[in-house]
Amino acid sequence: MAAGVSEEDFSNLQLLLKAPSKDAVRDVCVQSHKDGSNHRLIENTAATFSISAAEATRLIQSLHVLSHHVLYQNLTSPEQILAVFPESFHSSLKNLITKILLKNGPTWRTEALSNQISLPQLKDLDWRVDLVSGSDSLSRMAVPTCLVQLKLEDPCPPAGEDTVSTVTVELSRESLDTMLDGLGRIRDQLSVVAGK
Amino acid sequence: MQLHLVKEILPDSVSTDFQNLNRFNEQQFPRLVEILFQFLLEPKETERFLQQLTEFAGEHGMSAGLLRNLMKSVLLVPQGALKKNLTAEQIREDLVTLGLNEDKAAFFSQQWGEHYAALSKCAIGQTLMVNQLVDMEWKFGVTVGTSEVQKVGHIFLQLKLVVRKGTSTENVYMELTLPQFYNFLHELERAKTSMECFS
Repeated sequence: MAAGVSEEDFSNLQLLLKAPSKDAVRDVCVQSHKDGSNHRLIENTAATFSISAAEATRLIQSLHVLSHHVLYQNLTSPEQILAVFPESFHSSLKNLITKILLKNGPTWRTEALSNQISLPQLKDLDWRVDLVSGSDSLSRMAVPTCLVQLKLEDPCPPAGEDTVSTVTVELSRESLDTMLDGLGRIRDQLSVVAGK
Repeated sequence: MQLHLVKEILPDSVSTDFQNLNRFNEQQFPRLVEILFQFLLEPKETERFLQQLTEFAGEHGMSAGLLRNLMKSVLLVPQGALKKNLTAEQIREDLVTLGLNEDKAAFFSQQWGEHYAALSKCAIGQTLMVNQLVDMEWKFGVTVGTSEVQKVGHIFLQLKLVVRKGTSTENVYMELTLPQFYNFLHELERAKTSMECFS
Protein backbone atom coordinates (compact mmCIF):
# COMPACT_ATOMS: atom_id res chain seq x y z
CA MET A 1 0.00 0.00 0.00
CA ALA A 2 1.25 3.46 -0.68
CA ALA A 3 2.16 5.51 2.33
CA GLY A 4 4.35 8.56 2.61
CA VAL A 5 8.07 7.99 3.07
CA SER A 6 9.05 9.03 6.59
CA GLU A 7 12.23 10.49 8.07
CA GLU A 8 12.80 7.19 9.78
CA ASP A 9 12.64 5.41 6.41
CA PHE A 10 15.33 7.70 5.02
CA SER A 11 17.50 7.12 8.03
CA ASN A 12 17.13 3.34 7.50
CA LEU A 13 18.07 3.77 3.85
CA GLN A 14 21.47 5.11 4.91
CA LEU A 15 22.28 1.49 5.84
CA LEU A 16 22.77 0.98 2.11
CA LEU A 17 26.11 2.73 2.51
CA LYS A 18 27.30 -0.52 4.05
CA ALA A 19 26.64 -2.41 0.81
CA PRO A 20 29.69 -4.17 -0.64
CA SER A 21 28.83 -3.06 -4.21
CA LYS A 22 26.37 -1.14 -6.37
CA ASP A 23 24.98 -4.47 -7.60
CA ALA A 24 24.13 -5.43 -4.03
CA VAL A 25 22.19 -2.18 -3.64
CA ARG A 26 20.32 -2.87 -6.86
CA ASP A 27 19.49 -6.46 -5.87
CA VAL A 28 18.09 -5.52 -2.50
CA CYS A 29 16.00 -2.68 -4.02
CA VAL A 30 14.46 -4.96 -6.60
CA GLN A 31 13.75 -7.83 -4.24
CA SER A 32 12.34 -5.69 -1.46
CA HIS A 33 9.82 -4.22 -3.89
CA LYS A 34 8.10 -7.60 -4.26
CA ASP A 35 7.99 -8.39 -0.55
CA GLY A 36 9.00 -6.05 2.24
CA SER A 37 9.19 -8.73 4.91
CA ASN A 38 10.75 -11.73 3.22
CA HIS A 39 12.79 -13.65 5.80
CA ARG A 40 15.30 -15.10 3.41
CA LEU A 41 15.95 -11.67 1.91
CA ILE A 42 16.45 -10.23 5.40
CA GLU A 43 18.95 -12.95 6.31
CA ASN A 44 20.89 -12.58 3.06
CA THR A 45 21.00 -8.82 3.32
CA ALA A 46 22.18 -8.97 6.94
CA ALA A 47 24.97 -11.32 5.87
CA THR A 48 25.98 -9.40 2.72
CA PHE A 49 25.94 -5.98 4.32
CA SER A 50 27.34 -7.15 7.69
CA ILE A 51 24.47 -5.59 9.58
CA SER A 52 22.18 -7.03 12.22
CA ALA A 53 18.94 -8.81 11.34
CA ALA A 54 16.98 -6.00 12.94
CA GLU A 55 18.76 -3.41 10.80
CA ALA A 56 18.23 -5.51 7.66
CA THR A 57 14.49 -5.76 8.46
CA ARG A 58 14.16 -1.98 8.79
CA LEU A 59 16.17 -1.36 5.63
CA ILE A 60 14.10 -3.71 3.51
CA GLN A 61 10.80 -2.35 4.80
CA SER A 62 11.87 1.22 4.10
CA LEU A 63 13.04 0.34 0.59
CA HIS A 64 9.66 -1.29 0.02
CA VAL A 65 7.84 1.84 1.17
CA LEU A 66 9.99 4.06 -1.07
CA SER A 67 9.64 1.98 -4.23
CA HIS A 68 5.89 1.64 -3.77
CA HIS A 69 5.53 5.34 -3.15
CA VAL A 70 7.32 6.08 -6.41
CA LEU A 71 5.09 3.55 -8.20
CA TYR A 72 1.86 4.86 -6.69
CA GLN A 73 2.62 8.49 -7.46
CA ASN A 74 3.91 7.50 -10.89
CA LEU A 75 7.16 9.44 -10.45
CA THR A 76 8.91 8.93 -13.72
CA SER A 77 11.50 11.66 -14.05
CA PRO A 78 14.80 11.97 -12.14
CA GLU A 79 13.74 15.37 -10.77
CA GLN A 80 10.49 13.95 -9.37
CA ILE A 81 12.27 11.10 -7.58
CA LEU A 82 15.17 13.22 -6.28
CA ALA A 83 12.62 15.60 -4.81
CA VAL A 84 11.34 12.84 -2.52
CA PHE A 85 14.64 12.67 -0.59
CA PRO A 86 15.46 15.12 2.23
CA GLU A 87 18.17 17.75 1.61
CA SER A 88 20.57 16.10 4.02
CA PHE A 89 20.51 12.69 2.35
CA HIS A 90 23.85 11.30 1.12
CA SER A 91 24.15 12.66 -2.40
CA SER A 92 25.75 9.74 -4.34
CA LEU A 93 23.51 7.20 -2.61
CA LYS A 94 20.51 9.35 -3.54
CA ASN A 95 21.59 9.36 -7.19
CA LEU A 96 22.19 5.60 -7.21
CA ILE A 97 18.79 4.81 -5.66
CA THR A 98 17.09 7.20 -8.07
CA LYS A 99 18.76 5.52 -11.03
CA ILE A 100 17.62 2.07 -9.83
CA LEU A 101 14.05 3.26 -9.24
CA LEU A 102 13.87 4.90 -12.68
CA LYS A 103 15.15 1.79 -14.40
CA ASN A 104 12.70 -0.61 -12.73
CA GLY A 105 9.70 1.73 -12.64
CA PRO A 106 8.11 0.73 -15.96
CA THR A 107 8.42 -3.01 -15.18
CA TRP A 108 6.89 -2.53 -11.75
CA ARG A 109 4.03 -0.52 -13.19
CA THR A 110 3.24 -3.17 -15.80
CA GLU A 111 3.37 -5.88 -13.14
CA ALA A 112 1.12 -3.94 -10.78
CA LEU A 113 -1.44 -3.38 -13.51
CA SER A 114 -1.46 -6.97 -14.63
CA ASN A 115 -1.75 -8.25 -11.08
CA GLN A 116 -4.52 -5.93 -10.01
CA ILE A 117 -7.76 -7.44 -8.73
CA SER A 118 -10.13 -8.39 -11.47
CA LEU A 119 -12.67 -10.95 -12.50
CA PRO A 120 -11.26 -14.09 -14.12
CA GLN A 121 -9.57 -13.01 -17.31
CA LEU A 122 -10.25 -14.48 -20.69
CA LYS A 123 -7.01 -16.11 -21.75
CA ASP A 124 -8.02 -18.13 -24.76
CA LEU A 125 -10.97 -18.75 -27.03
CA ASP A 126 -11.60 -21.74 -29.29
CA TRP A 127 -14.70 -22.51 -31.30
CA ARG A 128 -16.11 -25.16 -33.56
CA VAL A 129 -19.22 -25.37 -35.73
CA ASP A 130 -21.04 -28.70 -35.89
CA LEU A 131 -23.86 -29.78 -38.15
CA VAL A 132 -26.42 -31.68 -36.09
CA SER A 133 -27.69 -34.39 -38.40
CA GLY A 134 -30.03 -36.26 -36.10
CA SER A 135 -31.51 -36.28 -32.63
CA ASP A 136 -34.11 -38.11 -30.60
CA SER A 137 -36.71 -35.56 -31.65
CA LEU A 138 -35.91 -35.59 -35.39
CA SER A 139 -34.08 -38.51 -36.97
CA ARG A 140 -32.96 -36.45 -39.96
CA MET A 141 -31.98 -32.83 -39.61
CA ALA A 142 -29.28 -30.45 -40.72
CA VAL A 143 -28.95 -27.76 -38.11
CA PRO A 144 -25.68 -25.96 -37.45
CA THR A 145 -24.64 -25.35 -33.87
CA CYS A 146 -21.60 -23.62 -32.41
CA LEU A 147 -19.44 -24.68 -29.49
CA VAL A 148 -17.22 -22.08 -27.86
CA GLN A 149 -14.57 -22.91 -25.31
CA LEU A 150 -13.31 -20.13 -23.07
CA LYS A 151 -10.19 -20.45 -20.93
CA LEU A 152 -10.36 -18.22 -17.92
CA GLU A 153 -7.60 -17.38 -15.50
CA ASP A 154 -8.52 -16.15 -12.06
CA PRO A 155 -5.78 -13.95 -10.57
CA CYS A 156 -7.14 -14.45 -7.05
CA PRO A 157 -8.72 -17.91 -6.96
CA PRO A 158 -10.59 -19.10 -3.87
CA ALA A 159 -8.42 -21.29 -1.64
CA GLY A 160 -7.76 -24.72 -3.03
CA GLU A 161 -8.95 -23.97 -6.56
CA ASP A 162 -7.01 -23.77 -9.77
CA THR A 163 -6.32 -20.47 -11.38
CA VAL A 164 -7.29 -21.74 -14.84
CA SER A 165 -10.83 -22.89 -15.59
CA THR A 166 -12.46 -23.89 -18.84
CA VAL A 167 -16.05 -23.19 -19.82
CA THR A 168 -17.63 -24.73 -22.92
CA VAL A 169 -20.83 -23.16 -24.16
CA GLU A 170 -23.15 -24.21 -26.97
CA LEU A 171 -24.90 -21.58 -29.06
CA SER A 172 -27.63 -21.87 -31.64
CA ARG A 173 -27.42 -19.68 -34.69
CA GLU A 174 -29.94 -17.25 -33.23
CA SER A 175 -27.98 -16.97 -29.97
CA LEU A 176 -24.77 -16.31 -31.84
CA ASP A 177 -26.45 -13.60 -33.91
CA THR A 178 -27.89 -11.98 -30.80
CA MET A 179 -24.54 -12.17 -29.05
CA LEU A 180 -22.80 -10.56 -32.02
CA ASP A 181 -25.41 -7.79 -32.00
CA GLY A 182 -24.60 -7.11 -28.38
CA LEU A 183 -20.85 -7.20 -28.97
CA GLY A 184 -21.29 -4.87 -31.96
CA ARG A 185 -23.03 -2.39 -29.72
CA ILE A 186 -20.15 -2.61 -27.27
CA ARG A 187 -17.71 -1.94 -30.11
CA ASP A 188 -19.70 1.11 -31.21
CA GLN A 189 -19.83 2.48 -27.69
CA LEU A 190 -16.11 1.87 -27.25
CA SER A 191 -15.40 3.89 -30.41
CA VAL A 192 -17.44 6.75 -28.99
CA VAL A 193 -15.49 6.63 -25.71
CA ALA A 194 -12.14 6.29 -27.48
CA GLY A 195 -13.02 9.19 -29.76
CA LYS A 196 -13.61 11.54 -26.81
CA MET B 1 -49.19 -54.25 -41.52
CA GLN B 2 -46.92 -52.07 -43.67
CA LEU B 3 -46.27 -48.76 -41.99
CA HIS B 4 -43.90 -45.86 -42.51
CA LEU B 5 -44.07 -45.33 -38.77
CA VAL B 6 -42.05 -47.39 -36.35
CA LYS B 7 -44.45 -50.14 -35.18
CA GLU B 8 -42.99 -50.41 -31.69
CA ILE B 9 -44.19 -46.98 -30.66
CA LEU B 10 -47.83 -47.82 -31.27
CA PRO B 11 -49.89 -48.96 -28.30
CA ASP B 12 -51.69 -52.32 -28.42
CA SER B 13 -54.99 -50.49 -28.36
CA VAL B 14 -54.23 -48.67 -31.61
CA SER B 15 -56.91 -50.36 -33.76
CA THR B 16 -59.59 -49.78 -31.11
CA ASP B 17 -58.44 -46.19 -30.71
CA PHE B 18 -58.81 -45.47 -34.41
CA GLN B 19 -62.23 -47.10 -34.59
CA ASN B 20 -63.26 -44.80 -31.74
CA LEU B 21 -61.88 -41.82 -33.62
CA ASN B 22 -63.95 -42.73 -36.65
CA ARG B 23 -67.08 -42.20 -34.54
CA PHE B 24 -66.53 -38.46 -34.19
CA ASN B 25 -68.56 -36.38 -36.64
CA GLU B 26 -67.58 -33.55 -39.06
CA GLN B 27 -67.64 -30.90 -36.35
CA GLN B 28 -66.08 -32.92 -33.56
CA PHE B 29 -63.14 -34.47 -35.42
CA PRO B 30 -61.64 -31.20 -36.72
CA ARG B 31 -61.89 -29.66 -33.26
CA LEU B 32 -60.07 -32.66 -31.74
CA VAL B 33 -57.39 -32.45 -34.42
CA GLU B 34 -57.02 -28.73 -33.69
CA ILE B 35 -56.52 -29.42 -29.97
CA LEU B 36 -53.99 -32.12 -30.84
CA PHE B 37 -51.93 -29.86 -33.09
CA GLN B 38 -52.01 -27.01 -30.58
CA PHE B 39 -50.41 -29.35 -28.11
CA LEU B 40 -47.87 -30.68 -30.62
CA LEU B 41 -46.77 -27.12 -31.35
CA GLU B 42 -46.49 -26.22 -27.68
CA PRO B 43 -45.56 -29.45 -25.93
CA LYS B 44 -45.06 -27.77 -22.59
CA GLU B 45 -48.74 -26.88 -22.33
CA THR B 46 -49.92 -30.21 -20.90
CA GLU B 47 -52.37 -28.55 -18.48
CA ARG B 48 -54.05 -26.67 -21.29
CA PHE B 49 -54.24 -29.79 -23.45
CA LEU B 50 -55.93 -31.83 -20.73
CA GLN B 51 -58.23 -28.90 -19.87
CA GLN B 52 -59.35 -28.56 -23.50
CA LEU B 53 -60.04 -32.31 -23.73
CA THR B 54 -62.09 -32.20 -20.51
CA GLU B 55 -64.15 -29.29 -21.88
CA PHE B 56 -64.67 -31.08 -25.19
CA ALA B 57 -65.79 -34.22 -23.35
CA GLY B 58 -68.24 -32.13 -21.33
CA GLU B 59 -69.68 -30.42 -24.41
CA HIS B 60 -70.29 -33.70 -26.18
CA GLY B 61 -71.44 -35.78 -23.27
CA MET B 62 -68.59 -38.26 -23.09
CA SER B 63 -66.23 -39.45 -20.38
CA ALA B 64 -63.30 -37.07 -19.93
CA GLY B 65 -61.09 -39.88 -18.69
CA LEU B 66 -61.75 -42.06 -21.73
CA LEU B 67 -61.21 -39.18 -24.13
CA ARG B 68 -57.91 -38.26 -22.50
CA ASN B 69 -56.64 -41.81 -22.70
CA LEU B 70 -57.71 -42.07 -26.32
CA MET B 71 -55.94 -38.85 -27.26
CA LYS B 72 -52.78 -39.77 -25.37
CA SER B 73 -52.37 -42.87 -27.49
CA VAL B 74 -53.40 -41.13 -30.72
CA LEU B 75 -50.69 -38.54 -29.94
CA LEU B 76 -48.01 -41.19 -30.40
CA VAL B 77 -48.75 -41.31 -34.12
CA PRO B 78 -47.85 -37.71 -35.06
CA GLN B 79 -44.95 -37.73 -32.56
CA GLY B 80 -43.51 -40.83 -34.21
CA ALA B 81 -44.16 -39.37 -37.67
CA LEU B 82 -42.24 -36.22 -36.78
CA LYS B 83 -39.24 -38.19 -35.58
CA LYS B 84 -39.23 -40.09 -38.87
CA ASN B 85 -39.73 -36.95 -40.96
CA LEU B 86 -42.82 -38.45 -42.62
CA THR B 87 -44.54 -36.50 -45.40
CA ALA B 88 -48.24 -35.65 -45.38
CA GLU B 89 -48.90 -38.43 -47.90
CA GLN B 90 -47.03 -41.01 -45.82
CA ILE B 91 -48.92 -40.13 -42.67
CA ARG B 92 -52.22 -40.31 -44.56
CA GLU B 93 -51.34 -43.82 -45.78
CA ASP B 94 -50.41 -44.92 -42.26
CA LEU B 95 -53.59 -43.57 -40.71
CA VAL B 96 -55.69 -45.46 -43.26
CA THR B 97 -53.65 -48.63 -42.61
CA LEU B 98 -54.27 -48.19 -38.90
CA GLY B 99 -58.01 -48.03 -39.47
CA LEU B 100 -58.90 -44.34 -39.68
CA ASN B 101 -61.47 -43.66 -42.43
CA GLU B 102 -60.32 -41.99 -45.66
CA ASP B 103 -61.95 -38.57 -45.07
CA LYS B 104 -60.55 -38.20 -41.61
CA ALA B 105 -57.12 -39.42 -42.69
CA ALA B 106 -57.10 -36.89 -45.54
CA PHE B 107 -58.09 -34.08 -43.19
CA PHE B 108 -55.42 -35.02 -40.65
CA SER B 109 -52.70 -35.26 -43.28
CA GLN B 110 -53.68 -31.89 -44.74
CA GLN B 111 -53.33 -30.32 -41.28
CA TRP B 112 -50.00 -32.14 -40.91
CA GLY B 113 -48.74 -30.60 -44.14
CA GLU B 114 -49.74 -27.12 -43.04
CA HIS B 115 -48.11 -27.39 -39.64
CA TYR B 116 -45.06 -29.40 -40.66
CA ALA B 117 -42.61 -26.51 -40.82
CA ALA B 118 -43.63 -25.24 -37.39
CA LEU B 119 -43.52 -28.77 -35.96
CA SER B 120 -39.98 -29.35 -37.27
CA LYS B 121 -38.83 -26.06 -35.86
CA CYS B 122 -40.30 -27.05 -32.50
CA ALA B 123 -38.50 -30.40 -32.63
CA ILE B 124 -35.22 -28.68 -33.48
CA GLY B 125 -35.74 -26.41 -30.50
CA GLN B 126 -36.10 -29.46 -28.31
CA THR B 127 -32.88 -31.01 -29.50
CA LEU B 128 -30.31 -31.54 -26.80
CA MET B 129 -27.95 -28.65 -26.24
CA VAL B 130 -25.09 -28.92 -23.81
CA ASN B 131 -24.28 -25.90 -21.65
CA GLN B 132 -26.55 -23.73 -23.72
CA LEU B 133 -25.87 -20.02 -23.58
CA VAL B 134 -29.11 -18.40 -22.50
CA ASP B 135 -28.12 -14.83 -21.74
CA MET B 136 -25.25 -12.41 -21.85
CA GLU B 137 -24.82 -9.21 -19.84
CA TRP B 138 -21.96 -6.80 -20.03
CA LYS B 139 -20.55 -3.58 -18.78
CA PHE B 140 -17.43 -1.70 -19.56
CA GLY B 141 -15.63 1.10 -17.84
CA VAL B 142 -12.34 2.67 -17.04
CA THR B 143 -10.04 1.74 -14.18
CA VAL B 144 -9.00 5.08 -12.74
CA GLY B 145 -6.71 3.95 -9.95
CA THR B 146 -5.59 0.99 -7.88
CA SER B 147 -4.04 0.53 -4.47
CA GLU B 148 -0.67 0.17 -6.18
CA VAL B 149 -0.90 2.82 -8.87
CA GLN B 150 -2.80 5.99 -8.11
CA LYS B 151 -3.63 7.10 -11.65
CA VAL B 152 -4.49 4.70 -14.40
CA GLY B 153 -6.63 4.91 -17.50
CA HIS B 154 -7.46 1.40 -18.64
CA ILE B 155 -10.62 0.38 -20.39
CA PHE B 156 -11.99 -2.96 -19.22
CA LEU B 157 -14.95 -5.01 -20.32
CA GLN B 158 -16.82 -7.38 -18.02
CA LEU B 159 -19.05 -10.10 -19.36
CA LYS B 160 -21.53 -12.31 -17.60
CA LEU B 161 -22.63 -15.41 -19.49
CA VAL B 162 -25.64 -17.33 -18.23
CA VAL B 163 -25.26 -21.00 -19.08
CA ARG B 164 -27.97 -23.63 -18.73
CA LYS B 165 -26.64 -26.67 -16.88
CA GLY B 166 -29.33 -29.31 -16.64
CA THR B 167 -32.32 -27.69 -15.01
CA SER B 168 -30.53 -24.75 -13.42
CA THR B 169 -28.34 -21.99 -14.75
CA GLU B 170 -24.80 -21.01 -13.91
CA ASN B 171 -23.27 -17.56 -14.23
CA VAL B 172 -19.79 -17.22 -15.66
CA TYR B 173 -18.05 -13.90 -15.09
CA MET B 174 -15.01 -12.70 -16.96
CA GLU B 175 -13.02 -9.65 -17.78
CA LEU B 176 -11.46 -8.74 -21.09
CA THR B 177 -8.93 -6.14 -22.10
CA LEU B 178 -9.63 -4.21 -25.27
CA PRO B 179 -7.41 -6.34 -27.52
CA GLN B 180 -9.01 -9.47 -26.07
CA PHE B 181 -12.45 -8.04 -26.79
CA TYR B 182 -11.61 -7.33 -30.42
CA ASN B 183 -10.18 -10.81 -30.80
CA PHE B 184 -13.30 -12.31 -29.20
CA LEU B 185 -15.54 -10.39 -31.58
CA HIS B 186 -13.41 -11.37 -34.56
CA GLU B 187 -13.47 -15.08 -33.68
CA LEU B 188 -17.22 -15.12 -33.17
CA GLU B 189 -17.74 -13.41 -36.51
CA ARG B 190 -15.69 -16.16 -38.09
CA ALA B 191 -17.86 -18.77 -36.34
CA LYS B 192 -20.97 -17.04 -37.67
CA THR B 193 -19.61 -17.09 -41.22
CA SER B 194 -18.88 -20.78 -40.84
CA MET B 195 -22.44 -21.44 -39.63
CA GLU B 196 -23.89 -19.49 -42.52
CA CYS B 197 -22.34 -21.94 -44.96
CA PHE B 198 -24.79 -24.53 -43.70
CA SER B 199 -27.98 -22.54 -43.97
